[in-house]
Parts: sequence; structure tokens; C-alpha cells
Amino acid sequence: MVAEETYVPIDRDGDIVSARQKARELATHVGFSGSDLTLIATAISEVARNIVVYADHGEIVLSAVQRAGQRGILVIARDEGPGIPDIERAMRDGFSTGRSLGLGLPGARRLMDEFEIVSEVGKGTTITMRKWTR
Amino acid sequence: MPVPILKQGDKLIASLQSDLDDKDLMQLKDEIAEKVGRFKSRGVILDVSILDVLDSFATRTLRTIAETARLRGAETVIVGIQPDVAVAMVQLGLTLDGVLTALDFEEGMELLLATIEGSHHGGG
Amino acid sequence: MSNGPLLSDLERLQLNTHDIERRKAFVDFRPDDLSRIAAIKDLVVHNADRYGVTFFDHLAGIEEAAGLTRNRNLLEQAKRLKHEHLIAMVQGDYGREYMEQRVRLGVLYSRAGLDVRVFLGAFHVLMRAVGVDVMKRFAATPADGFESFISLKKIGFLDIGLIVDVLIAERERTINVQQDAIRELSTPVLQLRERLLILPIIGVIDSMRAKQLTDGMLGSIRDKRARIVVMDITGVAAVDSKVANHLIQAVAAARLMGANVIVTGVSADVAQSLVALGVDLRSIRTMNDLQGGLEEAERMLGYKVVYADGASPAFGRA
Repeated sequence: MVAEETYVPIDRDGDIVSARQKARELATHVGFSGSDLTLIATAISEVARNIVVYADHGEIVLSAVQRAGQRGILVIARDEGPGIPDIERAMRDGFSTGRSLGLGLPGARRLMDEFEIVSEVGKGTTITMRKWTR
Repeated sequence: MPVPILKQGDKLIASLQSDLDDKDLMQLKDEIAEKVGRFKSRGVILDVSILDVLDSFATRTLRTIAETARLRGAETVIVGIQPDVAVAMVQLGLTLDGVLTALDFEEGMELLLATIEGSHHGGG
Repeated sequence: MSNGPLLSDLERLQLNTHDIERRKAFVDFRPDDLSRIAAIKDLVVHNADRYGVTFFDHLAGIEEAAGLTRNRNLLEQAKRLKHEHLIAMVQGDYGREYMEQRVRLGVLYSRAGLDVRVFLGAFHVLMRAVGVDVMKRFAATPADGFESFISLKKIGFLDIGLIVDVLIAERERTINVQQDAIRELSTPVLQLRERLLILPIIGVIDSMRAKQLTDGMLGSIRDKRARIVVMDITGVAAVDSKVANHLIQAVAAARLMGANVIVTGVSADVAQSLVALGVDLRSIRTMNDLQGGLEEAERMLGYKVVYADGASPAFGRA
């Protein structure tokens, strides 16, 4: 059951702040704890930033979702940018070396519960993330 | 929205009042660099306790602020990173390696004093 | 116990139109049940007081219901709600408002600690009283009386379904709250002296516990203004790469808040496995035993000026 969709166009860096503020609002409404709010806002900041940096322009769609009685948030970040040539490499976790990789994708995946990425060179990228309340 | 930067003796104190976008952060970086040079400051305290998100860009910028200040003779202490924000940063793989951090303004001041005096005495 | 907003209770029980229809389908409620209930409407309304008394008198005799029957405030509220319920039961309108009314009563029972089995028994006693009256009224046409009573019982089962769902949901919530409390108690953060905390960790570390430990430690760093945390892992069951990662993350987060973490209780074996896992031991300060860690901590806190030989400052270098 999906309720309420919020569209946030991402064109400039100011939109990154909007996206995470709107996400925080929606996530609060869904009932997430304080620390989860921060995790969600941070993950969105990263994917929104990727859109601004690599694709110039895209959108983030936020919605409240339910599955098996649990409430959560669904985040879809899409752009029609250059796409990611080597998704596997972009998703490789450089975690234990403490080095932060350019795209922040593995990090965003760690912050959320579910993470899917579809990308095609020349077509664009769509990232779908979900987090569930406990 | 510009961040107020106060001069206190040979130290600068910058306290973020609200969430900053990229442009504001860059502006803050330039202003601190300029003021450190102009006032020959020896220390900078940057209070980020208002921030509920420190993403990769913000973290990189904080590091750059500290590095630039150091090149001009000032140590920087970042204070006020909230527990949730610290957890998110770490999970994202972001570090502030090489940058001094402290819990809050008081702790930051003590650390600055210890650091500045230390370098003064030891010539390190 | 539930003091949360009723709306979220309802949402959790999924009381939208679809679910209400499903609940009616479960008890096989049909349109012609409405006229059969209407036939005994005045009987039920007329005797509502007596049925309520039957219900609560029965409960008064049950020790396990003392939480409700000996609490004057809750009992008064329950009696009032019950009366409204009985009236509403025969009005023929079983939509969202009707359901909300039942949920409210369920929440009240939960607050009074009323056991599900006890509630079911009392409900049965009440329905039996109604049934006796219905059969008396329809002595001449018992088949009709029976039909009407059966239709009413369908609504009765609808009510039971709701109230039991609420009682179960509230019980689960209590269990979760208790589990959280237990977890918190089992990982105390001790303040040894000013600026110095000790965090002894015992047992198995899964991701939920790791998160709790980290949150607890960071909260204590903030509240007690600690500069050093001695995290002792002597009692940790097994240190694999996941646990190691949790530790590293906790240490890194503490550092961002200006606190240094010394991990003690790292045996030679554990140190070896950490290295084999690719963990950079320079990123965390480790010591073999707690005593050594405490001494190191005090040494660190005692430093005021430390740049002379190039050593790092007493606290805070991230």
C-alpha cells in the first residue's frame, strides 16, 4: 500500500538540502526513530549529490510504504545522465580501508535496508532504496 | 546564508546556525581562509552541532577548511558532531582523519589551547 | 503500556475499508443478518445495563481480572464503553467508527492487564445472557430467535477479533520495550573518573546489539563529556569480521565526537584474527588487559602539552 508521493526535482546543490529535508519530514510521519531519520537523510544526500554532480538533473521520489504490517519509506532516485559503466566496481566496499569512494553508493546501501541500482551507459541511472521501521 | 565568524583574540569561532548547502559551505571555507590570513589567527573552532547530516561533500569541505587553515598557521577543531551524525558518517565511510575534533565548544577550546601551546613550546 | 496515539494502533491493525470487509467476511456476515439483528435491537438496548452487570460481575469473581476490577477509574471507563458497545452492536452500522470504538476498549483492557482468556470467558457469559432473553422472547418462533441470536453472535465474533488483536499487539509492544530495557541493562557504561568511561562488553554481538552499544557509548560520551572510553571486549563471545567492523565503526564515531577509544581485552589470538581480517590495528588502540588500558587512559588524560616529541595530543585527534 503506497500513500503520498513527494517529487523533488534535483537540479542544483540547493535541491540536495530540500531532498533530505523532505525525506526527514516524510520519515518522521512514517514513524522512524531519530537516528534512523539521520541515516535516511544522509543516504538521500549522497544519491541526490550524485545526480547533481554526474547527471546535471534528475528527480527523487519519496513515498511511505507498507509491507506485512511494517511501515517504511521508499526512495527512488532517477536521472538520465551518463550512467555508470561498472556498477560492480562502484558498489565495491572500500570500507575497511577507510577510503571514501567517489559515488558514496556502498555507503548509502549500508545506511538503508534495501538497495537496488539499475544503470545503463548513455541512458541514465535509477536507484531504489527502502528502509523499514523497527 | 552566511555563517557568523567571531574573532576572539588569536582564535576564530564559527558557529553554523542552520543547514548549509554547497555554496554556503564553500563560502564559509573562503571566509575562514581569508580571516585566518588577515588576523594571523592561531586557532579556529567550527561548531557544527546544528547539522543533522554531514554528507561526503560537507565532510570533504570541513577537511579542506582545516587543511587550509593549517597552511596559514591555524589549528582547527571541529566540534559538536552529534551521535547520530557520527554514526551515519562512519557507515558512509567518511572520516575526518588528521582533523581535530571535540565534543563541544568548551572541549574544543581546551584542545586548541593544549595544541597551540604544545606547538609553541615544542617547536613541532 | 500503550499511551501512543490511537491512530497508529488502528493503522497497525490495518483498519481500512478493505480490512473491515475482510473481517466481516471472516465471520460470514451478510446483508440479511442486518434485519435479523434489527429484530432483537430493542431487547438488547432495553437490557443493556443488565448485560453489562453480568459481564463485570463475572470478572469481579476472577482473580486474574483484578487489574481491571480493582481499578475504580479504569472500571468506570470500561463499564461506560461496554454499555455503548452493546447499544452499538445492534444498530446495524459496522464501519470504521464501530471498529475504533472496539479498539478503544481493547486498549483499555490492555492497560488494565486483562488476559485474553479471561476476556473471552466474560464475553461468552454476556452473550449467553443475551441468548437466554432472545429465546424467551421468541418462545413461539424459536427458529427466528435462534437466527437472530446467531446473526448477533457474528458481530460478537467481529468484536472479539478486534479486541484480541489489540491485546496481542499491545502485549508485543510491551515485550519489545522490555527486551530493549534488558539489552540496555546488560551493557552499562561506567564512569571511572572525570572524562573516562569504561564499557565492558559481554556476550554475543549482533548488529542490533552493536548499534545499541554504539548509541549508548556515544550518548554517554556526550552526557558525561568523556574524552576516553575504555572498551573491554574480554567477554565478547567471538570476534569475527562483522564484530570487528562494528568495533571499528564505534571507535570511529567516538573519535568524531572528540573521544579516544582504547579497546582492551584483545588477546593475541583476537589480535591475529583482526590482522588477518585486514583490520588496520593502527586505527584502534588495543591493549591486552583492562588494567593496561586504564593506565594508558590515565596517562593520556594526564598530558597537557604533548607536541614536544611529536606524539599526538592527549585527546581528540580524529
